[in-house]
Amino acid sequence: MNLFRSEDHIERWLAGRPPGGTIPVAKLAELAEEWWGDRLAPDWRPHTFEQNQAILDRLGLTGDFWRLG
Amino acid sequence: MDQPDIDLRNATYGLFVDLGRAPTLEETAAAVGAPASKVEEGWRRLHEAHALVLDLPQAAIRMANPFSAVPTTFRVHAADRAWYANCAWDAFGICVVLGADGRIETSCPDCGDAINVEVRDMRPDDESLLFHCLVPAAHWWDDIVFT
Repeated sequence: MNLFRSEDHIERWLAGRPPGGTIPVAKLAELAEEWWGDRLAPDWRPHTFEQNQAILDRLGLTGDFWRLG
Repeated sequence: MDQPDIDLRNATYGLFVDLGRAPTLEETAAAVGAPASKVEEGWRRLHEAHALVLDLPQAAIRMANPFSAVPTTFRVHAADRAWYANCAWDAFGICVVLGADGRIETSCPDCGDAINVEVRDMRPDDESLLFHCLVPAAHWWDDIVFT
């Protein structure tokens, strides 16, 4: 789960491996805010599978790659 | 996950933030007023529940996501401290959980060039960067350290 300067850098780094999921860093920031937002909350409860999948879906991270299971 | 384990988890996270590093078993036991053996049992249950990650077989914290207990290639300066994140996602997560602006320092895995991102109001200053996740979501927890 890394940051890259461009698609070219990702392709070179993959060196023939199948690509995973690529999103703009601004989308990553949104994802982090939704995913981690309650992590230090006093009333924290573990996220359910459905809650986590809903976060991905809400941000348009759909398709088999982004299915949690 | 029962309430005592949630309380232990919250106390562990609180200590991580207060100390600026992962608390030891003994520090956590002292903080919660429980024997170290009980804290270790609780940590192991939290590890199984993916609520934190231990460096097994030791009872030492490896990850309290988004924080890393060990040095990584993701350094985050936020809330007047420097932290290690487990990955790029977690690097932004540290700013989120601390409710703070920050600076993420990492490098491009391809060319090795430094990548520095200023995070202000949870937004990156350089929106040209890309995030790549190699492992499909269904397998993130197969080997969370690799992921």
